[in-house]
Amino acid sequence: MSDTTQFRVLDFDCPSCASTVERALSNVDGVEDVEVHYSTGRVEIEYDDGVSDPNAFAQTIENQGYTPQPA
Amino acid sequence: MDTQSIEQYYRQHRKAIVVAMSGLLYAGGWSIGYVPGFDAASTAILILAAIIGGYDIAKTAYYEVKSRTLGIKTLVTLAAVGAIAIGSYWEAAAVVFLFALGSYLEGRTMRKTRNALEELLEMTPDTATVRRDGEQKEVPAREVEAGEIVIVKPGEKIPVDGDVVEGESAVNQAPVTGESAPVHKADGDEVYAGTVNQEGALEVTTTGTGTDTTLQRIIQRVEGAQEAQSPTESLIDRFAKYYTPAVIALAIGAYAVTQNAVLSLTLLVIGCPGALVIGPPVSIVSAIGNAARNGVLMKGGEHLEQAGKIDLVAFDKTGTLTKGETAVADVEGFDADDDEVLDLAAIAEMKSEHHLGDAILDAAQNRRDPVTDGGATTAESGTRSPTETGSLSEPDDFEVVAGKGVVAHHDDREIVVGNRALLDERGIDLPNDVAEYVRDREERGETAIHVVLNGTVVGAIALHDELRDAAPGVIQELRDAGIEAVMLTGDNERVAAAVAEEIGIDDYRAELLPENKQDVVTEYQADGHVVAMTGDGINDAPALATADVGIAMGAAGTDTAIETADIALMADDLERIPYAVKLSKATRWNVLENVGLALVVVTMLLAGVLTSYVTLALGMLVHEASVLAVIGNGMRLLRY
Repeated sequence: MSDTTQFRVLDFDCPSCASTVERALSNVDGVEDVEVHYSTGRVEIEYDDGVSDPNAFAQTIENQGYTPQPA
Repeated sequence: MDTQSIEQYYRQHRKAIVVAMSGLLYAGGWSIGYVPGFDAASTAILILAAIIGGYDIAKTAYYEVKSRTLGIKTLVTLAAVGAIAIGSYWEAAAVVFLFALGSYLEGRTMRKTRNALEELLEMTPDTATVRRDGEQKEVPAREVEAGEIVIVKPGEKIPVDGDVVEGESAVNQAPVTGESAPVHKADGDEVYAGTVNQEGALEVTTTGTGTDTTLQRIIQRVEGAQEAQSPTESLIDRFAKYYTPAVIALAIGAYAVTQNAVLSLTLLVIGCPGALVIGPPVSIVSAIGNAARNGVLMKGGEHLEQAGKIDLVAFDKTGTLTKGETAVADVEGFDADDDEVLDLAAIAEMKSEHHLGDAILDAAQNRRDPVTDGGATTAESGTRSPTETGSLSEPDDFEVVAGKGVVAHHDDREIVVGNRALLDERGIDLPNDVAEYVRDREERGETAIHVVLNGTVVGAIALHDELRDAAPGVIQELRDAGIEAVMLTGDNERVAAAVAEEIGIDDYRAELLPENKQDVVTEYQADGHVVAMTGDGINDAPALATADVGIAMGAAGTDTAIETADIALMADDLERIPYAVKLSKATRWNVLENVGLALVVVTMLLAGVLTSYVTLALGMLVHEASVLAVIGNGMRLLRY
């Protein structure tokens, strides 16, 4: 089953950083679609809830040096 | 302070602490370097500064490389490592410190921009008082079900969307519509979640909760609008795709020719298109956020850039320039007394759904029953059912002649109520005195209709739709900004001319059917104008869609209007139109300024590096300064 989750990252400091996070998230197992918006800091992830562990999303964002907040 | 709170403080302010430490060490290491014999210590401190400031940058760089992207953090890491490798410790520490400081400030300022909507979100209260099983209960606001009665005490925020069923109050709707003046609410009126009940207790039947409220929908649309790329942004993104590889090629080429590693690294760092890619989105997000807080919904950067080019605004007359509250201004009997004329018209219009008919019915009712009605509610026409009209009798039959009037029969009498075209069609003579009366009223901007009994004109009724107080000022403000205003109306020439003169509009088009309005917009476009069309967004939907920019008024409750319009004004506030147009123009300039500044800085830096005037550290300083400059410039639009 497909599920969607959202985060808000308020501390993106450059547009390319947002794209990097987007790529990193799309490499997480089970992720079907990711949108990361530099301008609003909104992160939307569509994933297969049988495969993905939603905790991994926040961890991936943190690894990149940013602070995810639940939206 | 115990360890736990220190840890918490560190986590919250990690970036600031890292930047400060890196800066202090950098300054310390640099000054010690001037003391003879302390060279080694200076080097060690500078390397430490680079490591502390660069740890996070290098970590992100690692993930950048891992996800096969080439970002600025990878380039900065390369530059710092390269500088240390060739013994330029001072440069390494400076580059890392300046970049960390710049990023920290960028993140901080962008947070402010991103938070602009947060204030709106926090408006909605978490709990609601509902009436369940005859008792008042406090429940989470999102768990209230549609149809349930919510009680809102004076001073409280309204937790749900709904219709007032009990009570009367003034409600501050600023979060939704941007209007600062409270709006009177009574039985049957719609209220929105997040607005503030100021005076009396209200009972409200719930129509929407949680994410299904007007305020939430507005916020979602605003976010969508901020995320949509404007044409300038897409152009720059396409440019950046070629630009970054080109800079890398240039750096490699420069190294091959000069064997100067620092020069190549400097090129890489300053070649990042920072200010160029950041500028336009910051301007647009700030402008859309500002507009949202003023009750103006901009559909996206594209529409904002388009609105910045507007040079002509077409206004629909009824309901836009006027209040849309038609009322009878005067009744004149010629072969009958005034009251009889009004009653005849009321009988004929009894079952009509036209707004002129509603106004006539209201006037007839008020005359008969002035005490209970008080004459105060002429605005609420159209809600009266025939049974309520008491002593007024219903017609035996009734027929609408579209765009012209009505024909009805009552007690073997034929009553015709309509305009000149209807009289002509039915071969009814128009006496000179009536024609003169009608002309006189029309020259005052009123709509006059004739009342005919059994083929003889017995009187005329003049109807008036009051102008919005703000209208003349708005037209003047647009003119001052170099924007032409035109009025489109279905009324006849004389009425249109009178209204246009009163408002101060030079150009108008009269006697238009709804579909003609669209053609008029196309005509203006063919003349080379960038046209904005203003209307209610429902009747004018085709004209709004055809115009370069469609502006819908009073859109808070109507999703269709918000869908059709490029710019939706939540309130019925005409003064938001010059505001929206000027904000769009300011945004367009702001984007151009940012792009211009970024291009000038990058060009100068490139030239400076290639001629050895600009070092790695200086290049980084100017690069970061230019990024902060465009963010600062864009954020001015938040306070426009």
